[in-house]
Amino acid sequence: MTALKTASLAALMTGALAGTALAADTVKIGYQLPLTGETAQYGQDFRKAAEIALTEFNASGKPFKAEIVFEDSRSDAKEGTNIARKFVDDKAIVGVLGDFTSGVSMASAQVYKDAGMPQLSQTASHPDYTKISKYQFRNIATQAQEGPYNAKWMLSKGYKNIAVIAEQTDWGQSVVSGFTDGVKANGGTVVFSEFFNRGLKDYRSLISKLERAKPDAIYTGFFYEDGAQFLRQVQQLGIKTPVYSTSAAYSPKLIELAGEAAEGVHLTSNFLPTDPAPHIQHFVTEWKAASNGAVPGQFPAQAYDAVRIMLAAVEKAYPNPTREKVRDALAQTKDFAGVTGKTSFSADREAEKELVKVEVKGGAFVPVAD
Amino acid sequence: MNVSDLSAPRRGQGALIPLLLALLVFVGLPALLAGFDRGYFYQIANLALIFILLSASMHLVTGVAGLLHLGHAAFYGVGAYTAALLSTKFGLGFTVTLPLSGLVAALIAFLVALPTMRLVSIYFAVATLAIGQMLYLVMLNWVEFTKGPNGIIVTKGLELFGFSLSGRLATYYTVATVVALCVLAIGRLSHSYYGNALRSIREDDQCADAMGVSTARLKMEAFTLSAFFAGVAGSLWAHMTGYISPGDFKFSESILILAMVVVGGLGSLPGAVIGALLLILLPEGLRAFGDFRNIMVGLVMFLSILLLPKGLLGEVSALQLARRQLGAAWRNTVKGEGIGWR
Repeated sequence: MTALKTASLAALMTGALAGTALAADTVKIGYQLPLTGETAQYGQDFRKAAEIALTEFNASGKPFKAEIVFEDSRSDAKEGTNIARKFVDDKAIVGVLGDFTSGVSMASAQVYKDAGMPQLSQTASHPDYTKISKYQFRNIATQAQEGPYNAKWMLSKGYKNIAVIAEQTDWGQSVVSGFTDGVKANGGTVVFSEFFNRGLKDYRSLISKLERAKPDAIYTGFFYEDGAQFLRQVQQLGIKTPVYSTSAAYSPKLIELAGEAAEGVHLTSNFLPTDPAPHIQHFVTEWKAASNGAVPGQFPAQAYDAVRIMLAAVEKAYPNPTREKVRDALAQTKDFAGVTGKTSFSADREAEKELVKVEVKGGAFVPVAD
Repeated sequence: MNVSDLSAPRRGQGALIPLLLALLVFVGLPALLAGFDRGYFYQIANLALIFILLSASMHLVTGVAGLLHLGHAAFYGVGAYTAALLSTKFGLGFTVTLPLSGLVAALIAFLVALPTMRLVSIYFAVATLAIGQMLYLVMLNWVEFTKGPNGIIVTKGLELFGFSLSGRLATYYTVATVVALCVLAIGRLSHSYYGNALRSIREDDQCADAMGVSTARLKMEAFTLSAFFAGVAGSLWAHMTGYISPGDFKFSESILILAMVVVGGLGSLPGAVIGALLLILLPEGLRAFGDFRNIMVGLVMFLSILLLPKGLLGEVSALQLARRQLGAAWRNTVKGEGIGWR
């Protein structure tokens, strides 16, 4: 046992020490994300987006080169905290991106809080995440912002009685509370609200229960996999109640998987791959080249922007960037022109983003005025 | 192996290996950790220790009593949630939450064990699977009480009667002490007449019953005790990481702990410890291999089961080791009675 332990420790140490020898003008950033496991599809996309952003940055003649250290967290809190300790130990790392889920981001945040390491997650949406310490930032519109926005949108369309369903996660909880608050404040009624567990295969009982409440419209908090299942079963049951959703469902894969059933779904987004703005088209082209012509969704775009916001902060803190300087630079981010619109961080480190209204028409996401 | 080998205690030599192990855990490793002074190594050491405790506690049910337990992580979760809720709602510190976590997990295990302990083999496995899932779903869906998927931030770190133990070395020593004491207790339980009675249930429960062993009661005791230790591990995890959510205690964690016990050697306590070390250290050590590391971990597990089906340190060698090297509990004759464990 002793020999095994020593051998494993030795292996660990060589692994950790390798790659610390860097040229003086290289700045390192850590990125913890699920590259394997149940949520690997998201992590793989983030890495692809980050690599596009990194290549651009290093090719743009900046006074220093950036390097991103990717570590696989498997969306597991144990691994997330291990990685966090590892990043904190590496004195060359001045900022960290990730993780994907709020749970892992928040477990890791406990480490970053004590170590004074700035952490920017592209997706962590838990209301308490940014409250952990002054080092936690996120590049995603929270449901406290999106919920009331969508509530006003639906009420303006004349839907007064609305049913809400969402996945049983911290994010789903915030979808329901954010939206319900918005509906109540604007004179509507939430007639039904319920949670389902991620990866549910049969939504029919939920749908018929929901229909019994006779809603004018359905508001949903799901990602594309669950969304596609839900929409197909709504169509199979012949239900015509309009369905609204959040920006989390905004992915080309939603339409790919749900097919015709996705027609007429309304949702919000802050990224439109069809937007002709050159920086957006540039990202879309690069993404397509890296992924066999597939169109990027909302999350990779958020990751791409998160990496660029972090790199911009490092640049501002250069020369001699420290974790503290990078944190301060991040906090000052204002009107950053990313592919997900202009982003500023509020005093409590929340991303303030503009939302776009979108409808699925003819198998594509089409922006709509109202 | 012949019987005279087994019954020949080499006294005097008995305390050497425990002494060496204690030196390693309480002097050697901390010295190494302090020498490197990297939070990462401390973290891995603490995590490995917590999983040693989980694996050792499952060893009692699955290894010694031979009952396939598929819901162990849920009791780990009950312990973690007990610690987190007691500390956030009532401001209790680690000194109080540690034993309470174990007791609450044990109590719940006892209650669910009452109706299920007459089950055998695969039926027992499915019952524990269901228990694990039920507890997981309670953590996930009882939002008012457990905060559901939002998880709980535990602001209180490790402490002893008000003295903070949250420094790196202090945390390691706290975790190591708790785990060492628990593993010692589990060792005494499994290397004793009591452990042999549990083994008799594993080998043939009807025969054991006929011989006067109260199988249902023993199973319940083993199940409850193992949940107690899992609960203690949960409390350590909650105070150490500072944030817990139901995802930390789902089914795959039970399977991970089960894999540790099986790879290490069913019925072997040193095996359970080695299995936990292997399955915590290996995935971290293989980080350099990127996306392939999980495949490599799988391959190592597969090969170890294929080539060493009895585990890395199987039960027979483990018992031999325990009897020869940790022979403190072994007597040839005690007051004229026959040989056996004491």
